[in-house]
Amino acid sequence: MSDQKAIQAEAKSSRHELDNVEEEKIQYIVVGIGDEKYGLDISYIDNIVRMQKITRVPKAPDHYMGVINLRGMVVPVMSIRRKMGLGDDEITNKTRIIILKLEAQGLVGVLVDEVNEVIALGESEIDRNVNNSKKNDAMYINGIGKNGDGLISIFEISAIIDEVSNA
Amino acid sequence: MDVSQYLDIFIDETNEHIQELSDNIMVLENEPDNKDTINELFRAAHSLKGMAGTMGFKRMQHLTHDMEDLFSEVRNDTLKVNTDLVDILFQCIDAIEGYLENVKATSNEGTEDNEVLIKRLNDYVASGGESSGASGGEAAPAKEEASAEAAPEAAKDGPEYLSIKLEEDDKLKLQELADGGSHLYGLTVHVQKECLLKAARAFLVFKALDDFGEIIAYNPSSQDIEDEKFDLTFSVIFSTDSTDTEAIKAAVGAVSEIESVDMGAITVADYANDKNAPAEAEAEAPAEEEKPSEPAPAPAAAKPKKAEPVKAADNAAANTAKKNANKPVTARTVRVDIEKLDALMNQVSELIIAKNSLVSIGSASEAAGFDETLFRENIEYLERVTTDLHESVMKVRMVPIESTVNKFPRMIRDLSRKLGKPMDLIMTGEETELDRTVVDQIGDPLQHLLRNSADHGIESPEERRAAGKPEKGTIFLNAFQEGNNVIIQVGDDGGGINTEAVLNKAIERGIVSPEEAESMPQKEIVELLFMPSFSMAKKITDISGRGVGLDVVKSNIEALGGDVEVKTTLGQGSTFTVRLPLTLAIIQALMVEVRDEKYAIALASIMTIENIPTSEIKYVQAKEVIHLRGLVIPLIRLDQLLDCEPKEEADDYLTVVIVKRGDNCAGLVVDNLNGQQEIVIKSLGKVIENNKIISGATILGDGEVALIIDTNAMM
Repeated sequence: MSDQKAIQAEAKSSRHELDNVEEEKIQYIVVGIGDEKYGLDISYIDNIVRMQKITRVPKAPDHYMGVINLRGMVVPVMSIRRKMGLGDDEITNKTRIIILKLEAQGLVGVLVDEVNEVIALGESEIDRNVNNSKKNDAMYINGIGKNGDGLISIFEISAIIDEVSNA
Repeated sequence: MDVSQYLDIFIDETNEHIQELSDNIMVLENEPDNKDTINELFRAAHSLKGMAGTMGFKRMQHLTHDMEDLFSEVRNDTLKVNTDLVDILFQCIDAIEGYLENVKATSNEGTEDNEVLIKRLNDYVASGGESSGASGGEAAPAKEEASAEAAPEAAKDGPEYLSIKLEEDDKLKLQELADGGSHLYGLTVHVQKECLLKAARAFLVFKALDDFGEIIAYNPSSQDIEDEKFDLTFSVIFSTDSTDTEAIKAAVGAVSEIESVDMGAITVADYANDKNAPAEAEAEAPAEEEKPSEPAPAPAAAKPKKAEPVKAADNAAANTAKKNANKPVTARTVRVDIEKLDALMNQVSELIIAKNSLVSIGSASEAAGFDETLFRENIEYLERVTTDLHESVMKVRMVPIESTVNKFPRMIRDLSRKLGKPMDLIMTGEETELDRTVVDQIGDPLQHLLRNSADHGIESPEERRAAGKPEKGTIFLNAFQEGNNVIIQVGDDGGGINTEAVLNKAIERGIVSPEEAESMPQKEIVELLFMPSFSMAKKITDISGRGVGLDVVKSNIEALGGDVEVKTTLGQGSTFTVRLPLTLAIIQALMVEVRDEKYAIALASIMTIENIPTSEIKYVQAKEVIHLRGLVIPLIRLDQLLDCEPKEEADDYLTVVIVKRGDNCAGLVVDNLNGQQEIVIKSLGKVIENNKIISGATILGDGEVALIIDTNAMM
């Protein structure tokens, strides 16, 4: 019995160690918008769907693309490009709608040019010192992650969506 | 016993019983000799008492117990029903509702004892008939708790029952009972040491005693006894008409696992403070300082000798605290007729059959070729089943408006008494069904309209007599279904709306200018009543006239997708007509196209569809209008309103959908009509809520999303 317990305890502690290492890493989905790469915290993501017909909603703010049918639910879709003043989206074969699940707003889709990969970044790999920029879209970014050679801007999801809800 | 799992059922059933009581008391007031009603009342009170007891809601139990007694007196013809009695009863119902509210919020009944009410109730019974004393009909069990607190161990020099703590009320009652010819006994029951279910034994003892008379006081309290918070003995004071003490003793002794019973006749004098043993007197002093409702262990703690009861009280206090801490959220539920569920069940099994047929066609096709006819047949079958299924599910959501409107007769009765205007409420169509969400929210607006009728509509009896009307005013509430709508009319045969007074007030408030007022049609004047803060009450009463009146009614009803209209004739009364959609979730809609976009317009708001030559468009104040069968209808070009690309060349003919809201019309210019369809309304999501033109979205057969145009917002 004592053997068993010891093994269990060991397994537990080793698992614990693993947890400790992983705790610092957050997984991000890397998406491309224009020439830049952006990261979205995976815990907010409900689903990624292919581009489909978006029904325009009249009198809506400019970056509010419209609504789509997601398995019988009507889900609004935003354009990050328009939101950040990067012009209109070019719809290609690679265009995807990322469905975010937020507590306050429920499901919201955002358009991205492409979805690249999933990466895990620790806090040490993210430069949080980005808000000194005077540029308007800086507020939508809460850090820049280093992934090998590339740089990935980490979206502040609440900022992208929050402002829209007040529109 | 953990009864929290029954809480929902309790709340549900208590609501029903309260309603039953209320309804029957109303009947009783009109027909005081209706025995069936009394029996119903008695049963309802009895059930309430039983349920409250089971759930451990003692205060509620006391109140209902006394109500039950009162009904039994009425049933025995020892009490006459009159308005005072009905008033007291209604107060009791309010008190029970108060308990229920507490239970809903905290899963505890709260600490309101309603002693005054219980006293009034008992006084009424006492004054109503002398015989009530003998039957022991009136108990004052509210005091039980107090008697239990800090109860000392039996004094060594006397039977334990002599040490029961009695409140003044109990003493009075004992005195009364004694005067009424009842015999009073004290009983101390000793339970065997190895007895496992002491509470159950005690219960059996009480039950045995109930056959002889009534238990006035317990030690420990009945609650503690129920919870097995007593040692091996408990005592009661007991009143009976019988003198056969041996029979009583034998009956109690017959309960198994009872070791012995001490019994002796007592008088109220035995319980007078000074005549008790000194030790008991000491104990009594702190006990009396305690409020009966607070099971505080403090005073008893002073006496180490009384360790046991202290613990009991402690436990009780701890229990209460625990109960307060866990707040249940009672779920919103719909009670569904079992027939509806059966239908649903059937359709689901048909759905499975249809699916299986399709599966078998699918698997057969590989081997023996694809049977297209069979396939099509099954698809049709599937369609039929899903349509039925859809209908059934919607029906499940439908509940009769009864649950909302049945509190109104009581309200009108109270108003009638308060205002000193005799009036009757006549309701029809309570069984009309509406979506649960609508039924829940329609209560307040309707209540407001009824209060309005009672307060402003019905005149005083003198005025009515002068106008040659019966003194008793009539308020009515009629509900019925009309197409996809449910109509609820609330009206009265009162004085009607004095449009001139309304107009004067409007001018006074600066809502309309005197010039505008001159040419204002009557209908528009009446509409003024729905303006915010436009109250017609001459003085502010607590019934209505607080300035939040019809405008709130209107906005509430509109929030439900309905509308409200008034018709009034001076001197003959007014009628408010509330029109509500049958259900919020599904509507019949006309699908239209504007450029390449599809939109849905609720069929209920469409009057006609016209093909109008462009040449017939006229201009009034630079706005496009059409003249159609004597009506001048403003045109709304949907493509412009919805920011669509402008058309390159103008058509010769326009397709115009004429929509109405009340008596207002507008013509919506669309490019194409796509036929009628039943659509499921979906919200546009929380991100964009305050869109004025679009009321929602729906998903079409091909999976595309179409927006629903809110025509009401355009007019």
